[in-house]
Amino acid sequence: MKCLVEGAFSIEKLTLFYGNKLALSNINIDINKKQVTALIGPSGCGKSTFLRTLNRMNDLIPNCKVDGSICYAGENIYDEQSDVIDLRRRIGMVFQKPNPFPMSIYENVAYGLKCQGIKDKTVLQQAVKKALVDAALYEEVKDRLKESALSLSGGQQQRLCIARAIAMSPDVILMDEPTSALDPIATAKIEELINDLKKDYTIIIVTHNMQQALRISDYTAFFLMGEIIEYGPTGELFSHPKNPKTEDYITGRFG
Amino acid sequence: MTYRAQFEKELEELKLELIKMGDEVIANIKDGLKSFLTMDGELAQLTIKKDKIVNEFEKTIEKKCLQIILKEQPVAKDLRLITAVLKMITDLERIGDHAADISKMTIFMQENTKPFFVKEMPLMTEASQKMIKKALDSFVTMNLELANEVIKDDDEVDDYFVQVKKIVAAAIRSNEIDADYALYLMMVAKYLERISDHAVNIGEWVVFSILGEHKHDVIF
Repeated sequence: MKCLVEGAFSIEKLTLFYGNKLALSNINIDINKKQVTALIGPSGCGKSTFLRTLNRMNDLIPNCKVDGSICYAGENIYDEQSDVIDLRRRIGMVFQKPNPFPMSIYENVAYGLKCQGIKDKTVLQQAVKKALVDAALYEEVKDRLKESALSLSGGQQQRLCIARAIAMSPDVILMDEPTSALDPIATAKIEELINDLKKDYTIIIVTHNMQQALRISDYTAFFLMGEIIEYGPTGELFSHPKNPKTEDYITGRFG
Repeated sequence: MTYRAQFEKELEELKLELIKMGDEVIANIKDGLKSFLTMDGELAQLTIKKDKIVNEFEKTIEKKCLQIILKEQPVAKDLRLITAVLKMITDLERIGDHAADISKMTIFMQENTKPFFVKEMPLMTEASQKMIKKALDSFVTMNLELANEVIKDDDEVDDYFVQVKKIVAAAIRSNEIDADYALYLMMVAKYLERISDHAVNIGEWVVFSILGEHKHDVIF
């Protein structure tokens, strides 16, 4: 199956089961290239599950069964011949809790590149610096690149994880509640970074913070019990949502 | 069931305050015109004083709206409602000013001994009062049809204005009306006409609050 929009996702009839439990039901959306798409919804609604289908992270979960198609860069990523390793290089991920490797700041960013077989020190140094600059972290860590990444603050660790993801030159960055463990200042830095990054990357972010979705995203999808209830331009969805369920959720009257 | 009982309560209180402000304004228009038609200087003075209450209402409601925005970070229909309230109180306050303006005409006119009764004036007043009431009712009940009616009702008040102008012009020609009185009467008519325009504005904010569109423009 070929897709028309290269670089963006085109999702058709996506259904996902964890054993007998239906986690995603008939998802059909297109995700725009080089824009920020926010996924919102109550806990357990399937938004993180959906995010993880985009780079096949769910493959690692036993009894997980996926139906339908996700077209990305002209091919269905769930095709048997699809190269999952390459897919995850092109679609990076940042998690809720910063998870730097227990190694130096420099090694954290260089790790993926080394795994790819890059050995040239100058090339590595340049790539590490560029990734740290792009992740708005370089100025803060340039004099202590050899120190343990675990010595950084939570916000710095999260930006390091973003640097680690972008060092691999992905097309897409998936973020699963990347600021929920951070203070407002670190959160603001990450949000500003997301705004900068969308020039070069397609970003898909799960967030429980409505105001954050409003501030940083171009499109928002509202998930409820495994379905997408509403998907559209963020401004519209938050000012006059079309579906009463969306209205109830975003205004806090859901229950 | 709702998870935001306190918030809901605050929104209800806000609506109630707005209705109280509206009632105050409507009473002032009525008294203002009564003072003019009966040349009652005392009532005029009282009405001018009562405009301060209207101004206080505006301040209090404005403060409440801003506090809600700060605390609750409202979105969707809540944001539209609070935005509409913030805009509507400005119109109500201006209507209050016009009620005081009409009363001032009474005070200016008290020297005059020859009033000239135009039966369209009380009708015009009644029509503009009704518009304000209807606009506020449409807001409380979120009734789109009623809000659109208010916008249309403006034509009636405009027609009255044209009629009053014709009658006054004829009276001037036939020397039946005192020159000063004619001028003040026209100013009162103009204030009433402006009052109905503000009622239309209120109606338009009710439409926004329901549909998210202001004068057919999508704002957000």
